[in-house]
Amino acid sequence: MTKKTRKSQISRRTFVAGAGTAAVATGVIGFPAVLRAAPQPVNLGIIHPVTGFLQQAGAQCRFGAMLAVADINADGGIRSLDGAKVRAQLGDAQSKAEIGVAEVEKLNERGVSAIVGCFASGISIATTQAAAKHGIPHVVDVGVSDKIVQRGLKNTFRFGPGFGKIVKVGTERLIEINEKAGKPTKSLLIVHENSTPFGSGMAKLLTKGLGDAGFDVMDALAHPTPNRDFNNIVLKIKAANPDLVVPSMYYNEYVLFARTLERQKVKPKAIYSVLGGAASQYKFLKEFPTAAQYIMDCNHWYNPKNSDAFRVRAATEKAGKFYSYEVFTAYHAVKLVADAIERAKSRDRAAIIDALASSTWAGHFMPYGPTKFVNGQNQGAQPLNTQILGDEIEVIAPEEYATAKAVFPRPA
Amino acid sequence: MTGTMGWRIFWLVLGALAIVAPWIITSGFWINFLILTLFLAFLGQGWNIMGGYGGQFSFGHAVFFGTGAYIQAILQSKFGWNPWLTLWFAMAGGVLVAAFIGYLSFRYGLRGSYFALITLAFAEAFRVLATAAEGVTEGGKGILIALNQDPERSFAMMQFATGTGYYYFILILTVLSLVVVWAMERSRFGAQLVAVRENEDAAEAIGVNAFRVKMGAICLSGAMTALGGVFYVQKFLLMDPNIAYGPTKSVEALVVPIIGGMGTVFGPLLGSAFLHTMGEITKEATQFFWQDRPGLDLIFYGVILVLVLAFLPNGLVGLIKGQWRGRRQGRAAERKKAVA
Repeated sequence: MTKKTRKSQISRRTFVAGAGTAAVATGVIGFPAVLRAAPQPVNLGIIHPVTGFLQQAGAQCRFGAMLAVADINADGGIRSLDGAKVRAQLGDAQSKAEIGVAEVEKLNERGVSAIVGCFASGISIATTQAAAKHGIPHVVDVGVSDKIVQRGLKNTFRFGPGFGKIVKVGTERLIEINEKAGKPTKSLLIVHENSTPFGSGMAKLLTKGLGDAGFDVMDALAHPTPNRDFNNIVLKIKAANPDLVVPSMYYNEYVLFARTLERQKVKPKAIYSVLGGAASQYKFLKEFPTAAQYIMDCNHWYNPKNSDAFRVRAATEKAGKFYSYEVFTAYHAVKLVADAIERAKSRDRAAIIDALASSTWAGHFMPYGPTKFVNGQNQGAQPLNTQILGDEIEVIAPEEYATAKAVFPRPA
Repeated sequence: MTGTMGWRIFWLVLGALAIVAPWIITSGFWINFLILTLFLAFLGQGWNIMGGYGGQFSFGHAVFFGTGAYIQAILQSKFGWNPWLTLWFAMAGGVLVAAFIGYLSFRYGLRGSYFALITLAFAEAFRVLATAAEGVTEGGKGILIALNQDPERSFAMMQFATGTGYYYFILILTVLSLVVVWAMERSRFGAQLVAVRENEDAAEAIGVNAFRVKMGAICLSGAMTALGGVFYVQKFLLMDPNIAYGPTKSVEALVVPIIGGMGTVFGPLLGSAFLHTMGEITKEATQFFWQDRPGLDLIFYGVILVLVLAFLPNGLVGLIKGQWRGRRQGRAAERKKAVA
């Protein structure tokens, strides 16, 4: 009896040894993920004006940035950091520079490795300065003021083009389009907002650039932002009767301006915008298709020959959003930072700044080529020219990215 | 311990805490929080002199803020003047604009809502002027002050390398404003100003020169608010017509003393502390419970503001005074009972 019992029992020593072996085996083969702690996520600060007068654009930017975070994490996170996920730390600048700075301070406390934002130039100028004090790399997604990258801040990078480049390219392409069509337009009138660095800076550069190019710049009509009545401005355009109207303003004003032109039956030979607020926006096209027809724009735009652009577009539209430039510029700003972290193999801010400065990232769908930063500005960044034709926004210039031929001048 | 003694100890402790705050608080965010709180308290104090003590409600205090800010920015960026020197010109500019608006308004007896509207109109006119005068103000593009990257020149350039420098700068300004208002409250000028607020005709009947008193108040208020503009420029290094003369700064300057307690020395400081604290609480709470719901915090914040305005007509200072008076009356009643 005693013997039998002894045989069936496991001794303490055998049990401990067996259990130990089983634990090691389970750890190595069975549940490696349980035993190895998941890597700490990489904190990424994302600041946009999601409330206040820039709310609409800011919300689009935030959506694009969050889409990029989701894509990066779905793709395995930051591989060089053992697949660490990117964790978005959101900030709302409330359309004010000082709140943007407060958000930078908050994100610094949360230990973000980098910051992406802040859509508007005025806010971005303040937040990049605040981030510089803490050595936080800051990638500007949309802000086009050239002052952003002209202050010698080593932490500041901009993936997209700035004012100077956009106006230069916009002017050159207008001349080219006009010449190709047999110079049907000679006189033009600029309508611009003058309440923010965007419109006033643009008007000055356009007046000079287009005047130097031989156009008769009849006038540059300024209006504040917000502005809820364009009747007087359109009446002035009607009286001046220019061949070409060049609007430069934010989305709401642009839509109202285009609708007022349509209502008052003012039909210039062409409407050519440079960074036109609504001129290359699907929302405008969907809501006011007749007012939008044939409007041309020189703006941030994706490479229409890259299939990835359409994957992101499908994801955006699936979420019930419009695929606007704010979405894909913020999307790329986040992806650019992720690439830098990947190459830096570190969450360290200084290492990420170095990685951004030496970046040659080509995994994007913008018409820029591999990135090359000089003083924080991506040298290959350029705008594309688009035209609203039917129910689509087509690229009309430059030739290598064109999906349609420009209709210029537009049909009477 | 008497009530006065209790308050004195309270303010002494608070003052000592304010001085040592940068050593206790290592968080840059909270230092920035204190900076913005003190900045808004300072702006509110400027409004309080005229609106709270003088009863002259201004809806366009941004006109003084923007003038000070623009003078500070222009003299530095275009003429290369030292910011410590330009500061005095900025204040003088604020006084000049205040004297101009005050003379036009008070000379023709504008009061109440008429005065409020005229200040609003002036702020808007200055915004349009700043936008149009591109040669001087750079128009809508705004003026950007060159960033000083030499830590040794941070004090000379009034661009402090850390938040601590800005904290002490605005703390000194706020304490000075408290002292000025405290002294004013106890001066003949302060008494005359309050008399004008309560009944201008009666004040004039007893020999108060209401026009001169109101001019003094608006000039003092203009100088103080212009100094607020100087601080903003030095902290954020940019200025454009919307920041300078837009309605935001006018509203912020008047909301703070209204919430805290108009016509009281500490009302603006209390109001600013309350508003900033509530702003952060609502922001953090909404982010904690409903992440990525932009604007929801502002709705809660707005509701709290409305409730405070509805139930505390004398502001937070009125609430504290009411509580204090209630306790004192309670103690007096108890003593009476004991004697009886």
